[in-house]
Amino acid sequence: MKILVCIKQVPDMESKFKIAASGTWYDSADLAWRMNEYDEYAVEQAVQLKEQVKEADLTVLCIGSERVKETMKKALAMGCDRGAHVADDDCAGKEPYEIAAIIAEYAKDKGFDLIFTGMQSQDRGSAQVGVLAAEMLGIPSISTIVTFSYADGRIEVKRELEGGVKALLKTRTPALVTCQLGLNTPRYPTLPNIMKAKKKELISLPVADLLKVEARMETVKMYFPEKKGGGLVLEGDPGQLADKLIQILKEKTGVLA
Amino acid sequence: MNFELTEEQRLIRDMVRSFAEKELAPSARERDEEERFDRQLMFASLAELGLTGIVFAEQYGGAGADYISYAIAVEELSRVCASTGVTLSAHLSLGANPINLFGTEEQKQTFLVPLATGEKMGAFGLTEPSAGSDAGGTRTSAVRDGDGWIVNGTKIFITNAGEADIYIVFARTDKNAEKHHGISAFIIEKGTPGFSFGKKEKKMGIRSSPTMELIFDACRIPAANLLGSEGQGFAVAMKTLDGGRIGIASQALGIAQGALDIAVKYARERVQFGSAISRFQGVQFQLADMATQTEAARLMVYQAAYRASNGLPYSQQSAMAKLMASETAMKVTTQAVQILGGYGYTRDFPVERMMRDAKITEIYEGTSEIQRLVIGTALTR
Ligand SMILES: Cc1cc2nc3c(=O)[nH]c(=O)nc-3n(C[C@H](O)[C@H](O)[C@H](O)COP(=O)(O)OP(=O)(O)OC[C@H]3O[C@@H](n4cnc5c(N)ncnc54)[C@H](O)[C@@H]3O)c2cc1C
Repeated sequence: MKILVCIKQVPDMESKFKIAASGTWYDSADLAWRMNEYDEYAVEQAVQLKEQVKEADLTVLCIGSERVKETMKKALAMGCDRGAHVADDDCAGKEPYEIAAIIAEYAKDKGFDLIFTGMQSQDRGSAQVGVLAAEMLGIPSISTIVTFSYADGRIEVKRELEGGVKALLKTRTPALVTCQLGLNTPRYPTLPNIMKAKKKELISLPVADLLKVEARMETVKMYFPEKKGGGLVLEGDPGQLADKLIQILKEKTGVLA
Repeated sequence: MNFELTEEQRLIRDMVRSFAEKELAPSARERDEEERFDRQLMFASLAELGLTGIVFAEQYGGAGADYISYAIAVEELSRVCASTGVTLSAHLSLGANPINLFGTEEQKQTFLVPLATGEKMGAFGLTEPSAGSDAGGTRTSAVRDGDGWIVNGTKIFITNAGEADIYIVFARTDKNAEKHHGISAFIIEKGTPGFSFGKKEKKMGIRSSPTMELIFDACRIPAANLLGSEGQGFAVAMKTLDGGRIGIASQALGIAQGALDIAVKYARERVQFGSAISRFQGVQFQLADMATQTEAARLMVYQAAYRASNGLPYSQQSAMAKLMASETAMKVTTQAVQILGGYGYTRDFPVERMMRDAKITEIYEGTSEIQRLVIGTALTR
């Protein structure tokens, strides 16, 4: 079995973000980087599948600068067999369609039975990449999975819908799934596995070889929301205060009908 | 010269940090209050992560990583829970490393392998009621008896005692020799008849790490358990402590960093006189000093670790790093309590625990006075 897992390196979300000079993305200086949280679920699930089927070859793919190799090493230490690094210093400037196209171009004649991606990235949050890549490859995709099982060329997954409802879906491989919080608990890359990861194959491919589409959309502006004006201070005795509050809640919100 | 961590070292740091924050932090306060050691959490899970044998060769069950990785691991554990930090340090540096340094191939296979894999836990028994800073005052005795030794005596203040499976114990084997020359080191397993545990200490800090007495009452051990040669015990102890000091220095560094992080976060959030207290220069200056001292300690600790990994002499550097890092931990945690004000003094915030934990780093594996003695003697020799 051949498995592909696609991961992205994102800033630690606790960082203090600044808008870059371009005005269309955040400034990448002075940030700590880590694996996109949803991609950790994807890697864990891919590794579990590999452990289940025994005979499997698991590739981790990541697009970005030299810096992203460290995050790829983590995926290798978690159990991926080899890494495919798509060298691109302007990954953040590409829209989801282009990213999906790069992945599809890489994957197209490699015969992957299953492709795992995160549900979305923590820094862009488009949730488009996995699903678009599957379309480009002409294979079924199931998004935001919270359970996963595989047997005999079929997968069975659950998706979580609004209001706590779940849906159970089945499909044949090859297929692509995007992974949601709750799917699993990603393992820690153990120290011996971190040491071994450096011996695993990690090839770099120039993005120009894989990008064959043009962007269809562009980010016009990235900005922090303007600070809202101060709150409303009600004054008066408690009876009046309650009346005023009820009035406001009725008029301005749906809290009271 | 390169001050950057390697990719592996960064991955190890991130891994241990996320383990510490997710798994250790939630129970750190409770374990401290209840003086409770949690073997699964504080040792078995470290074994699963491959931390119990970081620096040992793969052929002995280790991970084959360097001392900087080890320092980083102890630092990151201690940033959140100093008790777990010392559990690892006492196990690895004091329990396992003497076997790595002085053991025969057979002793390594029998004892080092299960220690490195974390199947077994290690401890180190040097201190006695009348032999603290002056280890030459050891009174515990071992007398040759056929193909074995009979050990009698008491060790006090032993970290990991009761929990550990394998103990490195120092005993006098020659009453007539000059005091440092008549001591030998032994490997003694828990469960050996005549070996029992005494009082469990009630401590100021690192309360989730057990500290107990070891009692040897006509305890018979096989001759094969002599570690190093007869009379070499004092050298075994001193060489072991050189490495151990890197562990304790890392523990102190982690405590300081943990307290600094909390103080910075708190100062940015706490509002008094209409602004975050971090806006007050008086507070900023304190934070600046804390951060500077912590960073200086880190450079010294990593330097000592670098030397240990690269076969360079490091006794001086590890004594200096331990002295510097432990005094930094005490200063930084005290200042962190100050920055948190009344809240810092309560158990609702971890800085009071960190301040209590920091104190021990100035005492064990050689008090600050003994570190100065080691450094000063070498300087003026
Ligand atoms: C929590 C805890 C865990 C420990 N874990 C272990 C362990 O796992 N294994 C182990 O073997 N031991 C352990 N110890 C023992 C520890 O290493 C000793 O407590 C320490 O070495 C000091 O010895 P002492 O307590 O007898 O103090 P003393 O040696 O009596 O020292 C008292 C004071 O005199 C000072 N002093 C002594 N000699 C000199 C000198 N020559 N010049 C200047 N000042 C001097 C000391 O610095 C100190 O301030 C532990 C202790 C504690 C509290």
